[in-house]
Amino acid sequence: MRQQLHAEWTKLRTITGTGWLLLGIITLTLAVSAAAAATVSCPPAGCDYDATKISLFGVQLGQAIVAILAVLAISGEYSTGMIRTTLAAMPRRATVLAVKAAILTGVTLAAGTLAVLASVLAGRLILPGNGFTPAHGQPLLSLADGPTLRAAAGSVLYLALIALLSLGIATAVRDSAVAIGSVLGLLYLFPAIILMGPDQDWQRLLWQISPMNAGLAIQATTHLSSLPLSPWAGLGVLAAWAAAALLGGGLLLRLRDA
Amino acid sequence: MQATIEVNGLRKHFGPTVALDGMSFTVKPGHVTGFVGPNGAGKSTTMRVILGLDAAEEGSALIGGRPYKSLRNPLRHVGALLDAAALQPSRTARNHLLWLAHSQGLGAKRVDEVIARAGLGSAARRKAGGYSLGMRQRLGIAAALLGDPPVIILDEPFNGLDPEGIVWMREFLAELAGQGRAVLVSSHLMRELQDTAAHLVVVGRGKVIADTSVAELLAAVSGSRVTLRTTAPLEAVRVLEHAGATVAALGQDTLTVSGLAAEEIVALLGARAVPFFEVAAHRATLEEAYMELTRDAAEFRAATGQEAAR
Amino acid sequence: MTTTLPYHSGLRAGRDGFARLLRAEWTKFRTVRGWVIGMAAAALVIVLLGLLTASGSHASCSVGSVEVACAAVPVGPGGEAVEDQFYFMHQPLAGDGSITVRVTSLTGVITYPPPNHNEIVPGVVPWAKAGLIIKDSTRQGSAYAAMMVTGSHGVRMQHNFTEDTAGRPGGVSAASPRWLRLTRSGDMLTGYESADGTQWTKVGTAHLAGLPATVQVGLFVTSPGDLTVKQADLGGSIEQVRFTQATAVFDHVDLQGNAPGGAWGRDAVGVTGTTDWERYHRPNGVQESGGTFTVAGTGDIAPRMDGQTIERTLTGVLTGLILVIVVVVMFITAEYRRGLIRTTLLASPRRGRMLAAKALVTGTVTFIAGLAAAMVTVTFGKQILRSNGNYILPVTPLTELRVVVGVAALFAVTAVLALALGAVFRRSVAAVITAIVVIVVPHVLATASVLPEGAAQWLLRLTPAAGFAIQQSIPGYAHVIGHYVPQAGYYPLAPWAGLAVLCGYTALALCLAIFQLRRRDA
Repeated sequence: MRQQLHAEWTKLRTITGTGWLLLGIITLTLAVSAAAAATVSCPPAGCDYDATKISLFGVQLGQAIVAILAVLAISGEYSTGMIRTTLAAMPRRATVLAVKAAILTGVTLAAGTLAVLASVLAGRLILPGNGFTPAHGQPLLSLADGPTLRAAAGSVLYLALIALLSLGIATAVRDSAVAIGSVLGLLYLFPAIILMGPDQDWQRLLWQISPMNAGLAIQATTHLSSLPLSPWAGLGVLAAWAAAALLGGGLLLRLRDA
Repeated sequence: MQATIEVNGLRKHFGPTVALDGMSFTVKPGHVTGFVGPNGAGKSTTMRVILGLDAAEEGSALIGGRPYKSLRNPLRHVGALLDAAALQPSRTARNHLLWLAHSQGLGAKRVDEVIARAGLGSAARRKAGGYSLGMRQRLGIAAALLGDPPVIILDEPFNGLDPEGIVWMREFLAELAGQGRAVLVSSHLMRELQDTAAHLVVVGRGKVIADTSVAELLAAVSGSRVTLRTTAPLEAVRVLEHAGATVAALGQDTLTVSGLAAEEIVALLGARAVPFFEVAAHRATLEEAYMELTRDAAEFRAATGQEAAR
Repeated sequence: MTTTLPYHSGLRAGRDGFARLLRAEWTKFRTVRGWVIGMAAAALVIVLLGLLTASGSHASCSVGSVEVACAAVPVGPGGEAVEDQFYFMHQPLAGDGSITVRVTSLTGVITYPPPNHNEIVPGVVPWAKAGLIIKDSTRQGSAYAAMMVTGSHGVRMQHNFTEDTAGRPGGVSAASPRWLRLTRSGDMLTGYESADGTQWTKVGTAHLAGLPATVQVGLFVTSPGDLTVKQADLGGSIEQVRFTQATAVFDHVDLQGNAPGGAWGRDAVGVTGTTDWERYHRPNGVQESGGTFTVAGTGDIAPRMDGQTIERTLTGVLTGLILVIVVVVMFITAEYRRGLIRTTLLASPRRGRMLAAKALVTGTVTFIAGLAAAMVTVTFGKQILRSNGNYILPVTPLTELRVVVGVAALFAVTAVLALALGAVFRRSVAAVITAIVVIVVPHVLATASVLPEGAAQWLLRLTPAAGFAIQQSIPGYAHVIGHYVPQAGYYPLAPWAGLAVLCGYTALALCLAIFQLRRRDA
């Protein structure tokens, strides 16, 4: 297992794109978070915004880059035929996928932590200038605050789970274009479809099974009782998606000819 | 339109590497012109410049006096096979040829003709992704023939062919040239072209080393040598050196003689009663001539040698 | 050596031209089954998702707990659904004439407004209206022209619901009254205003074609509901409309022309029920004392914004777009993956033309797929929505055509953008993700996330997602308070302007792709 880990790590490390993608995760998350924080303002009468959620808004776009990283980790091998070399070197296919998943989780957690910390810092610096002050009923953003810490740490986990979900889907469909389309469709179309849901019950149900909506419940720090799922249960939904995708992908990898 | 390819002073760099360094030659109709040189000598790059895929920094490459990009129905003027794997795997061979035909204003009838001509037969309705390398070469040939062009350019067409395929390809090339087409065929192995090409353009390090007919090339390279086996080598050496030959010992009873023809050697030794049991005249092969010419140009071989010496 | 005669082909020369290239690219597209299936799936998903949402959308009207048939919604002269509810003190006027009045006060009440929602407060909503009106008849939706003072938009002249002309700004009070005059001359109605009753300024004119010889003329007061918007927990928003009532005081009423004179007719046009406020505190109506009329009214004379729109059936567009993007990107990147591009360029060495042909084929195929899908979806979706009791805001056939053709164009242009991105990146992942992130994601973030409205509107102005504006069938009106945000289906740019933004980005990407294709070695 250690050898395989080492091999996969070398593989990921020596592709030129990886460094840029990790940098992309951090900068895009930070930039979009900062932009979101800069566009909202809280009037003296107070406001109903969830400051933590706004300062972590960039995660909603940063996840797209995480998805690329994860999809390329496997479909890049299929498009070049390198998968055959990989499987010849490491015939235990489930192990190959597990190792890939472990490495991806590692790098995503690292990049995600930097991205989320930078976003929270940006929120802490920008939001008070837009009226998010204690005087307006919005305390300064701080990781010492329990729910904020949970939102920040959960966002990092969210990104890692998105990586695993993407890896599983990409393993199952193999073609990179189809894989990335499926992942982004799964993530971004649910929120749009929920709005069109015929009634409240349907909307809640769709919300509860949507990987992005449920998963991002982890970022909520206000109105928790009105959410269809608690933050951790929401992240659990995403974890279930990721597990199912990995399991399905792994099964297909074992059953199919390479 | 004249069936010629004229390449004039092409120069091109890839970063610091010189790919083409004043490449110039002309390909005339009616015979197969071999385009040979070691890997990295600039053969493929030259072909791609001729076909308008790559841009040269200097010089010109003309087909029938016109640059490729100015041809209105290019496949009616030039047929080319560069990379047999350049296919959409999920499209059938016939459909691959069909879109090419449509792009030249040709119809499905012509497609079926070239399918038969290249010997693809019923396999043409299968997806090209499942083809063997040999089948892909045939498909590539079919595509090159589609416009029935007077000029044909093939890059390493023997690659990956089985012996039967190689024979087929040789006959095929000869037939195309016999019809009066100009045929340019590249290879890094001279022996593939030995019996096919009538004219050779030998390149190395981005320029032409020799542009000559096969016969002239063979004559130009070192004269003939004779291998002699004798039970009395010392005596034989004395006699032959006296007659003006250069003699080298290869083994205990084997000598290599140059400077004298085999018949002369037999006469000399016979007259002096020197015993010998084998005289073998040795004609230089095209391969040897080529190796001699490209020795300096074979940069890769030299580089690998240095690596190994470290 | 024997000399051989140069070879001459026996093939007949084919046609030369761009059409040939198009045909080749079309053959290329249709001969890969996966792409054709993908394109068909994109069209199918639009139809299926659209019809599914339409069939899941139910509406009904009830009185108390009893379900009744919904009242017919009046339609204005322009064919649009309208609100036409106001208190009307009127007389018939035969032929030409004019009416003049002085307004000295406009006050009102607003029920249970935020933040505490627990009391009825005095106040006038910005578009409360009081003034003069000349109307075809008291029938809802009939043609009219009106001169009015408003809650906070000054003097206005409005006609036929959608038209609005601004007069002098500022509120009205006893110290600063407004004189209003409305004259009829044939089909032409002209509005004037004055601060003192002697110096008159023309505000505007309205041509009301087909106005009958005898019209209803008089004073009116109305006050639209007070709109409050709350962010919904699951994304989207909750809009609440609260009852308001406006009261205006008029004097110096002067009616010139062939009118019977004497008592004024009094009508609460379009009013269906009464609130407790009207029942116990102040009913709508007129109180007269010595030439001074105090008129209270509620409602609005304006286009109606409440109802389903035809584009509500186009829920599958985003999903369809993702499918189209994937297929189109594969169409171009398949060329690069195995070097097929070299074969393509051998066959058509003029690279710009080659890409143009590819773009045209891609655009046409997606346009046809999108057009068929949108046409079926809107036609049948409308029927399903109606049969489920939903009221669909009517639009002209031309607008409906614009929505359907526009959605097809949205597909086609997006496909060309994806194609150009594919040619620029030459890698399918990069191209697919860029296309989705610039078109689909901004739209999702703008319509279905916690993003503040201002940011959402900028997203739909600046990104290629602006093109979605083409599907908006009902415009927002400056003179009607509404929640005009992307979440509610209102785009910040006009339909064609939005599509133009998308086209601009596409043209840019295509130029970049052609530039790179020409410059790079293949």
